[in-house]
Amino acid sequence: MSTTLDLQGIEKRYGATRAVAGVDLSVAPGELVALLGPSGCGKTTTLRMVAGFVEPTAGRILMGGADITRMPPHKRNAGMVFQSYALFPHLSVADNIAFGLRRRAVPRAEIAARVARMVSLLQLDGLEQRLPRQLSGGQQQRVAVGRALVINPAVLLLDEPFSNLDALLRDSTRIEMRRLQTTLGLTTLFVTHDQAEAMAISDRIAVMHRGRIEQIGTPREIYDRPATRFVAGFIGRANLFDAPEEAGLRLAPAEPGAAACWLLRPEAVTLDLAPPEGPNAVAGTVEVVSFLGTGTHVSLRLPSGRILLAEGPAAWADRFRPGSPATARWDRAALVAIRAA
Amino acid sequence: MTSLRSGLGWALLAVSALAFVYILGPLAVIVAASFGDTGYIAFPPEGFSLRSYRAALTDIRYVGGFFISLRLAATVAFLSLVVGTLAAVALTRLDFPGRSFLEAFFLSPLILPTLVIAVALTLFFANTPLLPGGMPRLVAGHLLVGVPLVLRVMLPVLRRVDRSVEEAAQNLGASPVMAFILVTLPALRPGLFAAAALAFIFSFDEVEMALFIGSAREAPLTVVLYGAAQMQFDPTVAAVSSLLIMLAGTLMLLRQAFVRP
Repeated sequence: MSTTLDLQGIEKRYGATRAVAGVDLSVAPGELVALLGPSGCGKTTTLRMVAGFVEPTAGRILMGGADITRMPPHKRNAGMVFQSYALFPHLSVADNIAFGLRRRAVPRAEIAARVARMVSLLQLDGLEQRLPRQLSGGQQQRVAVGRALVINPAVLLLDEPFSNLDALLRDSTRIEMRRLQTTLGLTTLFVTHDQAEAMAISDRIAVMHRGRIEQIGTPREIYDRPATRFVAGFIGRANLFDAPEEAGLRLAPAEPGAAACWLLRPEAVTLDLAPPEGPNAVAGTVEVVSFLGTGTHVSLRLPSGRILLAEGPAAWADRFRPGSPATARWDRAALVAIRAA
Repeated sequence: MTSLRSGLGWALLAVSALAFVYILGPLAVIVAASFGDTGYIAFPPEGFSLRSYRAALTDIRYVGGFFISLRLAATVAFLSLVVGTLAAVALTRLDFPGRSFLEAFFLSPLILPTLVIAVALTLFFANTPLLPGGMPRLVAGHLLVGVPLVLRVMLPVLRRVDRSVEEAAQNLGASPVMAFILVTLPALRPGLFAAAALAFIFSFDEVEMALFIGSAREAPLTVVLYGAAQMQFDPTVAAVSSLLIMLAGTLMLLRQAFVRP
């Protein structure tokens, strides 16, 4: 049931612009890989090429080793959950879910059984005869998922499936989605612009920028060791420095070899009121204090004029006030050299 | 709000009332006159009788003309719907050079007076007898306007259709044609109904082309009425007109009931 998905040198050109500029990606059986990036980075075009709605200008797409690059969408056996859900408005919940089975000429009795199983799996019991417009957003999303899963797809394609849900529902839904995906062992490609969402449920994340994959790795690798300045800035909050000396930072001993820039995560920065001594410390003026319940975000204005972000315990909200002085310190190991621009 | 209601609100009400009288007034006159008890059309009507209705419904020219018109309008509506919808699908789905020019070209018969089309077609068919005379030529003539009418309704409807729903159908195993039939067509139904109704009403009410290129033996109701109104202006004409107004009214009510805005 579960298969590999391979993209080899996939490209999509529209006239002179390259929406996707050479993407190589291998998804292992049962693995969930997120395509993460800002709008216009080519992630949706890539997903649509896998679904068959967009024909690649160059490259090959393999599903379970078989070349499907030129195969029409309806022969691909890839279940897709659309951002808008794209439910069939004139069909009931049960008929929406049964749609793919009917196209496959599955016997009537088996359709009924599989639809019933999907309905109970997604907790849609009692809603079978409702029309999509009579459902809440969360219920519509579950129908869209059920419709894609019931056909036992070789790969599952998710196009921003949580972005139309409100924040509370989004968290529980993505956990549920991940549970289903691991239980069924489905090879999954997941498009999102939300880095927290990608980190929460992905085995690996491919960060896309300007039609290319900038970095691919586990959420941990991407967050701790970003390969490029773009990845460092896009994933999580970041302090990025072009040179160690910038902003009066003394980063002795200087790391040998050239780095394009330096990354210091806000949570690695601690604040206190003692004067700075030695390297990896700098004094500044507190500018903004945001109390977030679980912690506090502080922006520190350095003498050079630039801002240093720090994240610390909730107690910081009492200790630091806008306008008061503070000293930022960090562990030398927390400063990450980024090789590529 | 209050000032709007007192000033602009009353002005708006007055203009609306005027418009209603202007549009419905002549119709009211005809309907009222049809109930008159005189041998000629009179307004205000003198007496009350259904005599002219009995005359209209037993006169073979009117009844026959009605069924000829019905057949004509149904044929025109059906063919316009098929050709117009397919053209609208092509114009909204395919990207080819000259697409917007073609769209404007297809819609252009709507800005021509039908009399001009009627004269042009008379000359055209006189030189090139492409179609057998009478009904086939009249249907072809009506299609020149019926197809653009359907096109004008269906173009915006098709542009509004959510394409991802059709993609979802393909993703689940429906071929492009099946996806269109199973998923897009049901979504187009209200638009198709409205487009067919427009083409039907146009064909049913049209008189110039029917006079010029239709055959005298198969005269649609409009031509019969036109002749009768010129010859003897009796209340039967008013009764037939009233029946047509009621038919159109009923169709409009049905449309309101079936097509949600």
